[in-house]
Amino acid sequence: MNPSSGSNGHPGASSNGGSSSSRPSISAPKQGSGSFSFIFAWELHERLLWFSNLRWFAVVGLAAVSLIGPAVGMAATRPSLMVVAALVAVYNLLFVYALKFRFGPEEDYGDLRTVAILQMVTDLAALLVTVHFTGGCASPVLPFVVFHMAIGTIMIETRIMFVLAFATCFAAAGLFACEHFDVLNRHASVIGGQSTPASCGLSTVMLVGLVFGVVYLTDSVTSRFKTRNVELHQTTTELRRSLEEREELERRKSHYMRISAHQLRSPLGTIKTSLQVLLDGYLDPGSEEGLRLLGGTATRVDSLLDIVNDLLELAKMREGRVKAPWARNVSINQILADIFDAADPSAREANVELVPHFIHEGAAVLDWAVPPDLVYAFENVIQNAIKYSKPEGGTVTVALGIDRTHAMIVVADEGIGIPANLQDDVFMEFVRAPNAKHAEAEGTGLGLSIVREAVQMHGGKVSLESAEGIETKVTMVLPLHYVPPEIGRA
Amino acid sequence: MARPTILIADDDPVFVASMTSVLRTRYGVRTAANGSEALTSVRDDPPDLVILDVMMDHMSEGFDVARSLRLSDETSLIPIIILTGVDRVYNLRMEVDESWVPADHYLEKPVDPTELLRIVGGLVGPGVLEDS
Repeated sequence: MNPSSGSNGHPGASSNGGSSSSRPSISAPKQGSGSFSFIFAWELHERLLWFSNLRWFAVVGLAAVSLIGPAVGMAATRPSLMVVAALVAVYNLLFVYALKFRFGPEEDYGDLRTVAILQMVTDLAALLVTVHFTGGCASPVLPFVVFHMAIGTIMIETRIMFVLAFATCFAAAGLFACEHFDVLNRHASVIGGQSTPASCGLSTVMLVGLVFGVVYLTDSVTSRFKTRNVELHQTTTELRRSLEEREELERRKSHYMRISAHQLRSPLGTIKTSLQVLLDGYLDPGSEEGLRLLGGTATRVDSLLDIVNDLLELAKMREGRVKAPWARNVSINQILADIFDAADPSAREANVELVPHFIHEGAAVLDWAVPPDLVYAFENVIQNAIKYSKPEGGTVTVALGIDRTHAMIVVADEGIGIPANLQDDVFMEFVRAPNAKHAEAEGTGLGLSIVREAVQMHGGKVSLESAEGIETKVTMVLPLHYVPPEIGRA
Repeated sequence: MARPTILIADDDPVFVASMTSVLRTRYGVRTAANGSEALTSVRDDPPDLVILDVMMDHMSEGFDVARSLRLSDETSLIPIIILTGVDRVYNLRMEVDESWVPADHYLEKPVDPTELLRIVGGLVGPGVLEDS
């Protein structure tokens, strides 16, 4: 009988009604533990319970043969088989108790496998005792040894079953030898007939062949199912992980959309309120105060446009680098020199001294880069350093270091710094520190997000160290020989 | 007749200017750019009404100020209007325990001047026209 033919495809499923609720708990044995390298713990649990239920039939059978056998001409086996039946009933009760109250379907696979091995060993021992009392090598019970081997191979690792097969054959051969040499009493076969040394030898050889053959054949037949079980589990795990990633992505997208919507709505709310105030006549648009409000409203429109532009920039970077205007052999030194020239007026206006500090003489050349995005990233960090310097000014140092594989750009200022509790968050969209808002009212809070996106697009990393009121240091590390996979393939 | 005084706490100067233009037609108006300024202003000279923006320097600064005012014996009776531009986006009213943020009214940006005067009038009276 194949255990997998039970209801709902799992043996003994009906005997363990609560098992489905326990199914999320899945245990896996260590990899490489024989051909049966994986089984769900709940599945093994169900099979063991089914096997225990089946054992009651053996108990009834043994008791029946013990009681009725002599009446229908079987040899007198009453007391011995009744004792065996009682022993089987007792240890079966213990197994049922253990499976229902000690080793549930949520247990570790290894524990349940130990129970399975114990069941096999006790059953085989009981079987050999029964064989002894029912005729030794001529016993009609011998085929049940083969039956057990088939069930065992379905439930536990094949290598363990080969060990059990060897031990069973050895014990059976030992039993037959003991009976032959009168070390043990010989009992007549319950179905009659006499065994001879030759027939006993043949029975032993057949038993060995059948036991090993059945283990081998059962493994061959079930290995495909076992492999599918493993593949099914792996596929399910991957699908579940993929679904979780998808849900997380959707959640983040939704959060990003909500934050973006709020950031757009906030200036729009101000613009609408201001225009309504003017339209309702609370202020004369031509008056000095009215003009001031209109000017402020125009500033809000500008900040709205800045946000929209930055959002578009961010979306562009996130959408794909293949379509970006990329170039080969891009010199970071050249880009930084151009940015220095462009930033000089704003630095002077803020009383900030821009200090280039190119540590090595050679040029840092990237195999692949999107120059506008790199310019945006470097310029944004340098302009931030100038913008958030202290009112009395200071120094902004831009250092460039190169080794054989990477270029490192460090922009250090002596500005207002970033509060410690926000230093991990400033690369997130729309995060601006309160001191930055006070120093510079206008700002989208998207600049550093775009910087991070641009640096990551070039295979690099950006990090930040800051001490509020003292300094901020932004470090960008870019690999020199990075080429995106999709470009590399082209 | 004395004009009731209203304190507006919001970090957006353009919005504050708009609100001030409307409210000063009937009420005395003071402003604060963040939560701590608002608290100082209320404790120095308690106004008749406080209008608080939610997000100023910090994410829920307006709520924090509102709670602080409610917990203090001197300021617990001052009516509070919470101003927010995020109501529709975050469903704040659904998420915030009203006993924790005991505002008398919520107003969503953009604010309609007529509606503003109606709500403020309901809380502190119609005020006194500027000309009188």
